[in-house]
Amino acid sequence: MVKDKATVVIVGGGATGVGILRDLSMRGIDALLIEKLDMVNGASSRYHGLLHSGARYAVRDQEAARECIEENTILRRIGKSCVEATTGMFVQVEGDDPDFVEPWLKGCKESGISTRELSKEEALRLEPNLSRKLVVAYEVPDGAIDGFRMSWQNVQSAARYGGRYKTYTELIKVNIENNTVQSITARDNVTKEEYDIECEILVNAAGPWAGKVAEMAGLECSVSPSKGTLIAFNQRISNRVVNRLRKPSNGDIFVPHGSITILGTSSITVEDPEDTTTSWDEFEELMKTGEGVFEHLRDYRILRVFAGSRPLYVPKGADGGRNASRGFVTLDHEKEDGLKGMMTICGGKFTTYRLMAEKFCDVLAPKLGNTAKCRTAEEDLVPEVSVADKKAARQYFPAYGVNLSATRLGTEKFPEVVKTLKENPESREVICECENVTLAELMRIAKEPTSHSVADVRRRTRLGMGTCQGNYCALRSAATLNKLFKDKLEGCNDSLSDMKNFLQARWKGITPVMLGKTLREAEMTRGMYEVLFNVNGGRRG
Amino acid sequence: MSKSDVVVIGNGFAGLMSALVSADQNKKVTLLSYGAGTFPLNSGVIDIMGYDESGKAVANPLQAVAAVDADHPYKKIGTQTLEEAVKFFQDTVAAEGFPFIGSLNEQQWLVTGVGTLKPSCLIPESMQGSKCFDASEIVIVGIKGLKDFYADMVAENLAKELGNDKKYTVVTVDIHRKGERDLTTRDVAFWMDSEAGYKDFVAQVKEYAGSDKVILVPQILGTKGNVVYKKIVTDLGCPVVETTGMPPSVNGIRLRDVLLSALKKKGIRVIENCKAEKAEISGSKALSVEAGGEVRTQTYSADKFILATGGFYSGGITMRDFGQAKEVLFGLPVAADCVEDRWVNKQLFSDKKQTFAKAGVRVDETLRGVDESGNVALENVYVAGRNLSGYDFCFEHSGNGVALASAYKAAKA
Repeated sequence: MVKDKATVVIVGGGATGVGILRDLSMRGIDALLIEKLDMVNGASSRYHGLLHSGARYAVRDQEAARECIEENTILRRIGKSCVEATTGMFVQVEGDDPDFVEPWLKGCKESGISTRELSKEEALRLEPNLSRKLVVAYEVPDGAIDGFRMSWQNVQSAARYGGRYKTYTELIKVNIENNTVQSITARDNVTKEEYDIECEILVNAAGPWAGKVAEMAGLECSVSPSKGTLIAFNQRISNRVVNRLRKPSNGDIFVPHGSITILGTSSITVEDPEDTTTSWDEFEELMKTGEGVFEHLRDYRILRVFAGSRPLYVPKGADGGRNASRGFVTLDHEKEDGLKGMMTICGGKFTTYRLMAEKFCDVLAPKLGNTAKCRTAEEDLVPEVSVADKKAARQYFPAYGVNLSATRLGTEKFPEVVKTLKENPESREVICECENVTLAELMRIAKEPTSHSVADVRRRTRLGMGTCQGNYCALRSAATLNKLFKDKLEGCNDSLSDMKNFLQARWKGITPVMLGKTLREAEMTRGMYEVLFNVNGGRRG
Repeated sequence: MSKSDVVVIGNGFAGLMSALVSADQNKKVTLLSYGAGTFPLNSGVIDIMGYDESGKAVANPLQAVAAVDADHPYKKIGTQTLEEAVKFFQDTVAAEGFPFIGSLNEQQWLVTGVGTLKPSCLIPESMQGSKCFDASEIVIVGIKGLKDFYADMVAENLAKELGNDKKYTVVTVDIHRKGERDLTTRDVAFWMDSEAGYKDFVAQVKEYAGSDKVILVPQILGTKGNVVYKKIVTDLGCPVVETTGMPPSVNGIRLRDVLLSALKKKGIRVIENCKAEKAEISGSKALSVEAGGEVRTQTYSADKFILATGGFYSGGITMRDFGQAKEVLFGLPVAADCVEDRWVNKQLFSDKKQTFAKAGVRVDETLRGVDESGNVALENVYVAGRNLSGYDFCFEHSGNGVALASAYKAAKA
């Protein structure tokens, strides 16, 4: 049954897909994005969150390096609230190859990436936790970026231009007649309803799942999902991004985000992009390398370990993994395979998602007779929350929390939440102290049409994602959401199971690192929930 | 340099009890204290053994203790010592005017802060959850602005435990606070200490009281022993029951306060905010412990040391690198089954013990650290509480029980 139509249907709600949705919408093309789960659940939120300066690619891939520095500059401008303009350092410690420095400097220069040599004293003054075995250090314009938030802001920006999106909507069939895509069949993963959506062009932007989408159209597209494992630490180990100055390899990058640091990444070719398991071996490898840069790494508390799959495109005959290109390709299946009305975009990295969308849409738009120019670099993703609204909010919660909440909620929802805080004092309760989430914000996000489950609300508010990893807010969120949204949110079953499920979801990332200060936290979690609350039930017999 | 007969390192339940029992032997005791142990966390109730190996609820704690396996601290301590320790504890708190009810032959039942039931053994009068069993109506009192106690959630889960033939009524009390900060149970308990606050509370709850009802509250019945409890059951003419709850636990701090008061009466020297950093050892004997406060470091020597610095949570045991578990002060031998695929269960709440939880100092029957062949490491250092290996206190609900019994044994040795 045909239920909907759009000129372009985009499959995949990662950075690539949302970038294309925004680009097409701004060119005046009617586009609809579908995503099988919640928005940004794959690699776009499961990575280290580095806004590349390009310096990492300066030796091997200068085209990528140049793209990075250009996009870096653009994203800082259009996505202010998602970027921490920290700068970055490239460092060598004793034992690193000194011959790598010169070609690297040359590569940076040729790619237009500014570098500044720091004396050992200055580097250690700026980043006191660095290893005393430091040999050389250079400053580069790296930054930190919140991939989850930036992707959502792309969606919001697109929506202002008429772009549409449906989460929990999965592509299950591509309907082809006369070698032309006519429509797709989609399934609503909440209601289980199946229906058709007519389209002129189908865009496969499914990242590491792109091979599977191509298969549905009877095509071959070789994507090699490459799993990257990352470690999140409980504090800012450095104030800047810190990279190892050597041939890119595993465990080279530290990125500070808010009150935490992420160390990444490994690169393991996997069969299934859904595979986000992590092992002791991957963890140990990252730690051993990381210790070279920060000697006391093992003394910090680890919050959790997580993994995501990069969508590496493998041209026929090449191999995947670390040697596969980080670049991207646009496949026009009309040219490549004789199938009209379908295009695939594959590969790439977060920093260049906007440019990828621009180049891709430059090919797509003329097919529809649209000659509008790309404008995505010219306009901010979202308008900034006004100073007056922030000032008003300051009366009701800590100044530190105001900015966090303002950037999470954006211009529309933030004033609404402030109004609730003003009118209803009970809604000022801080449910999550780590991320400064008030009851008012929780209630507002839970009401969103895209909030289908407790997990959706958690991702959007960052409830339970902070340093206590749910120890305190598991109880509060289970009790509150269960009381207020039992009929709306999936995952509200009974308050006790909800609380256990919440903590179990956190536990998944904690088990692979059960040592050091993580053990301490685990003993506390169990002391509270198993002993004090006896969550396994009372008179068991 | 300060010289004592016994130096106790640790300020939790095991440390305080070790000091009290040692002083009872006419020993000159110094207690090095740092932090507050797990009192603010454990609700101040003495669990002896709540669940057996298979996860079944234990009806008779003493019998369950007698049945533990050879590695368990209770096996090394013995049931007779446990019985003496329980008597010592009950006498001590009763003498301080804060009696704990219960015996080793039966289980007490608590209502938790989420409405489940929890077995425990020695509990204050204000926490007798069993009073709910025969009541026809449970009135659950929430406090406006108090997070971490959700009366609706307590009602939902308690109905599952006790059945729907009872009535569960949720009431919200307003403490008329002026500030904007979120409340904790401790704030409300201080309000209840005041005459005005107490009267206000009773006035708001009175109409719900009745002889066949129970008034269920978070731990708010004052900060001092059982003073408010005794008054309120009379004034309301109705059983009142406190639940366990999120830290900071008011009852944990009540228990700590009465034990510290007993310590003071016995003339025990308590050095506060003083972290034991290193030990001086000669041959198989510990000579002294170096401990630092904010300003200076002092050396505390003694004939005997009792180590009660806790497990992973309190920092007595650490494992910085996988497989390298350590006891940090004396370097006593640690037993830890560091095999990657069984170190931690993939399920946080499961029907199996957590291997990592059992890591701790390996001891002999005298509670002194021993190597794998059973040779005593340091002949004058005894171990009490969560420092010990061989039990999962969360699975068993046995934390304060092991702490009490091992403290008693270590002090008597």
